[in-house]
Amino acid sequence: MKAFDVVVAKNAREALALLAAYGARAKLLAGGTDLLVDLKSAAHVPEVVVDISRAADLDGLELTEQGLRIGALATHSAVMKSPLVRQYFPALVDASHTVGAVQTRNLGTLAGNLVTCVPSMDGGPTLLALEAIVTVASSAGQRQMPLSEFFVGPRKTILKPDEMLADIVIPKKNLGKPTAFLKFGLRKGQALALVNVAASAWIDSRRQVFVEPRIALGAVAPTVIRALKAEAWLDGKPATTAAMSEAGRLAAGEAKPISDFRASAGYRRDLIQVLTARALAQAAAQSTAGSKETTK
Amino acid sequence: MSSVTMKVNGETRTATVAPETTLLKLLREQFNLTGAKLGCDVGDCGACTVMVDGQAVNACLMLADQASGRDVLTIEGLATRDRLHPLQQAFEVHAALQCGFCGPGVIMSAKALLDENPDPSVQEINDALAGNLCRCTGYTKMVAAIQDVARSRNAGSAKLPAPRNVR
Repeated sequence: MKAFDVVVAKNAREALALLAAYGARAKLLAGGTDLLVDLKSAAHVPEVVVDISRAADLDGLELTEQGLRIGALATHSAVMKSPLVRQYFPALVDASHTVGAVQTRNLGTLAGNLVTCVPSMDGGPTLLALEAIVTVASSAGQRQMPLSEFFVGPRKTILKPDEMLADIVIPKKNLGKPTAFLKFGLRKGQALALVNVAASAWIDSRRQVFVEPRIALGAVAPTVIRALKAEAWLDGKPATTAAMSEAGRLAAGEAKPISDFRASAGYRRDLIQVLTARALAQAAAQSTAGSKETTK
Repeated sequence: MSSVTMKVNGETRTATVAPETTLLKLLREQFNLTGAKLGCDVGDCGACTVMVDGQAVNACLMLADQASGRDVLTIEGLATRDRLHPLQQAFEVHAALQCGFCGPGVIMSAKALLDENPDPSVQEINDALAGNLCRCTGYTKMVAAIQDVARSRNAGSAKLPAPRNVR
C-alpha cells in the first residue's frame, strides 16, 4: 500500500471538520472492507484517511421518532444481531447475511455498502423497498433524502467531498411491513449477486389485495432501482400467483441488465421475473402469518 | 509513524508503525506472529483471520491503529506450552488439514463460532467457514472436527472421541 496519513475522528463533528478542511483529498474509513481493498491497488491514495471507525455517536441501531435509525458504523453483523431489526425487518437480516462472510460482516458497515454504491450491493434493495431515508451531513449542517436519490451511478452517490452519510432511517410507517429479500449468486458465500430483489407489501386483510407494494432490484441497472411500473400495477391487485408473476414480468421490463462474465442480460431478466414473484409471495405469506392486522 | 498499544494473546504489546500498516503486517512483521497468513490481502480468503474483541475479522482489512486498545487473539494464543487447544487437537485427530496454509484462519473462525454458538448445526458451521478458503480438504473433515469439539464440550468432557474415519 502506498503511504498515507491517518487522522482519527473521535466523533461526527471532528470527522466533518476534517472533511471540510481536506475535501476531496480525504477519504473516510469506517469498516474498511472496501476502502482498504481499493487503497491497496490504487495508483493514487488520498492525502489523509479520516478514521471514523471509533466515533461512538455514528454507531448504534435504535428506534427514534422517525423510525429505525441505523448509524453509519452499524456493521452487517450488528444489523443481523439487533433485536429491533430481527423483530421489525427480518428481510434486512437476510440481506446483511448474504454480504461477504463472517469476517467482512464483522467489519463492514451497511452505510458503507450504500456509499461504495456498486450496483450489486446486497444492502440496498431491502432498504429501498422499505423507503429508507438517509441523512447526509457536512460541517454546514445536514439534510435528509430518500435513499433512491442518494444513488447516482455505479460507485457514485450524491455525496460531495465534504459530506458523509451519517445514518439511515427506515420510516416509522413501515415498521413491521412484510418484506422479503432474495439474492441469486453463483455460490452461497463470498459471491456478488447476479440479481438481488427485495419486495415489501401490506396485504389488506379484508379484500386480500396488495397495498403499497414496493419492489427493488439490484445488479440489473447502473444503481439499485425501484420497479415503479410493476409497483403501480400491483397496487390493489389480489395477492394471487398470477398477479405476482405479472409484477415480476413488468419488473424485468424496467431493468437494464448487462451481459458480463457472470451471466447474460437475458438470464438476469429471467431471474428478476422469478425472484420478484417469489419475494412478493414471501412478503404476502408473512402478512397472512403475522398477527398484525392491516387496516390500510 | 505512530505508536500503537494493544493486547495480543493476553499480553500488552506496543509498536511504532507507519499509518498505512495493516494489523496483519504488524502481527507478522513486528510481533513475529506468523500464524495468520497473508493470502489474498483483500478479505476473500480468510487466511489472515484473527479475533479482535471476540469477533473474527480479516487482519488484512484493519489498520494496525484500529486495533489500538483492543484485545487481539491469534492462533498462537490458543495452545499452551504443553497442550493444544481442543480445536487444534480435533483438527489433528481428524486430519482436517492438508497443506495447512488456511488452518490458522479456519481454526480462529471456528473458535469465534463456538464462543458464540456452542452447539452449531452443520449449516451454521458452513456459514462460519464461508470466509475461509481451503483448496485441499473439501471442508468435510473440518466440519466434523468442529462438531466433535462442540459435542465433547457439551458433554462436559475435555477428551475428544476418536473419529469414526480414523483407525
